[in-house]
Amino acid sequence: MNMRRHLALTRAGIMESLQYRLGTAVTLFANLIYLVLVYFLWRAIYDSAGTDVVNGMTFTDTMIYLILATALFNFLEMFVVWDMSRSIQSGKIILDLLKPMNFRTYTFWSYSGSHVVLFTLTFIPTFIVVMIVTNGAIPMGINLLYFIIATVLALIVNFSMEMIVATICLYTESTWGINIVKETIVLLLSGASIPLAFFPEMFRKVVEFLPFRAVYDIPLTILLKKNGTDTLEELLPMFGLQLAWCVILTVAGILFWNHSVRKITVNGG
Amino acid sequence: MKKHTFRKHKLEGTDKMENAIVMKNVCKDFKILNRHEGLKGSIRDLFSRDYKTISAVKDVSLEIARGEIIGYLGPNGAGKSTTIKMMTGVLEPTSGEIMVNGLVPYKERTKNSERIGVVFGQRSQLWWSLPLIESFRLLRDIYMVPKKDYEEMLELYRSLVDIEPILHKPVRQMSLGQRTLSDILAAFLHNPAIVFLDEPTIGLDVSMKAKIRSLIQGLNAEKNTTVILTTHDMGDVDALCKRIVIIDEGKKIYDNDIEHLKSYFGSYRTLRIRHADDTWEERVIDETKEDVMDVIMKKQKEQKIKDIQLQEISTEEVIKKIYENSAASKESAAVSDVAEKKEEATV
Repeated sequence: MNMRRHLALTRAGIMESLQYRLGTAVTLFANLIYLVLVYFLWRAIYDSAGTDVVNGMTFTDTMIYLILATALFNFLEMFVVWDMSRSIQSGKIILDLLKPMNFRTYTFWSYSGSHVVLFTLTFIPTFIVVMIVTNGAIPMGINLLYFIIATVLALIVNFSMEMIVATICLYTESTWGINIVKETIVLLLSGASIPLAFFPEMFRKVVEFLPFRAVYDIPLTILLKKNGTDTLEELLPMFGLQLAWCVILTVAGILFWNHSVRKITVNGG
Repeated sequence: MKKHTFRKHKLEGTDKMENAIVMKNVCKDFKILNRHEGLKGSIRDLFSRDYKTISAVKDVSLEIARGEIIGYLGPNGAGKSTTIKMMTGVLEPTSGEIMVNGLVPYKERTKNSERIGVVFGQRSQLWWSLPLIESFRLLRDIYMVPKKDYEEMLELYRSLVDIEPILHKPVRQMSLGQRTLSDILAAFLHNPAIVFLDEPTIGLDVSMKAKIRSLIQGLNAEKNTTVILTTHDMGDVDALCKRIVIIDEGKKIYDNDIEHLKSYFGSYRTLRIRHADDTWEERVIDETKEDVMDVIMKKQKEQKIKDIQLQEISTEEVIKKIYENSAASKESAAVSDVAEKKEEATV
């Protein structure tokens, strides 16, 4: 496969994202406020629990997990749904459909540049700060490589979910509500706002098989080597789950899009 | 150079793809929900299955040869954009056939996109926050243009317009004229066989319009690119198009040379008379119906005439007449429709 087109889109995306330096700074600042809130909330929870370990996690574990989840969220967050609904309303989507590339591929690679930038500017600094402050609580080793792989898979799963919701918006014409619902579900069920360990047993068993977990919980679990996830027997099921959802959601997304794009081509934008 | 393009044109002419675009009996219907007014109506619409069909394009057949610049005209809402969207492949015709560069556009949209370029009025395909040159590089890679061809195209651009001042400017900082110019350049960058320009000069000042016209003309001459131009500016038409196609209410009502146009709907001339008080009176005269001399004599009996001018009718006037005629025939049709209904009611 010739990657010239794809890398050109990544390159442009990087340049575009770098134009918004201030935006990145504001994001970091907002995170800080959010994390102060998270700190006091969980401090209170742990104080009232009366034990140092709740659901197998110490206070430090929980904080590291949530801080990194926030950093990961900043980097994985995509605006496919917003952007697409805006370009449908303005009719600009026609120009995107008239690119000599598959629309889905084009969209994915258009966003890739901003992922690269945000990963470097938000995730890596957060990671380094957490590493220094906790003084060795994050294991450093081969898990970093596994984490990168898991993050790429998470990115694909996340993109596929975005594309499916964006496709739904072709029908509803209103985006706001659907997107909020999607974001809430993802944030809750993926472990980005509450570690999955805190969920009731039954509920957690179900959530563990859903695609949302593949976005935040799996990469973080691998990174933090929780429950001894450095053995292949522990890693394989997690990568397996991510891969399975990648395939399922991509295929479903493509079929759904191909079916729905006819709505544009048959009945106009 | 000229000779070379001519020969290339001839070579292409000999193969079976002589026409850039062929449309046969193309129709396009849209199904839209019948919306009701008021709060009650809006709630009713939620559950409504009450659709009505609107025919945007009715039985249009068209052949466009390679290297032509076609003016595609029509009043607002006539179905121009719909036709263009069908030619580009983003809309599927309800019936009829379209071939663009030998492809069925809506079936092979991505493949078709490689060989067409588009400029849609005020929407830009450029990367908003990046300098123009970056958009060009990106488009070069997306369309897989060889480096050499790309450099040659930039050279050609330089010879036609002064692109240096805009090349390194971020698109969001450009004036509307500069952006339109950039968008046109971007559409031609991969040397497409056909370029669609949907109202490219809308909102531009006179000098920018002239610049853009000469650019389009230059690119068409150098690259033998087929250009489909929709516009409401008759200056564009006069400057660029030899042939024009007019549609109204989705139907093709004219398809011929621009020269032919002036005599086609009667032989019109504009008579300008200067009165004693130095005011000019202007009148369009259909010479098949009345004689210019008669009009002048009649006027002269009424009042003193200081000066007389007789002009060929402008394209603008002819087009205006055509639109008005078709609007008038629509109205009379509607009136007779109402009359019929009334009759029915009384029966």
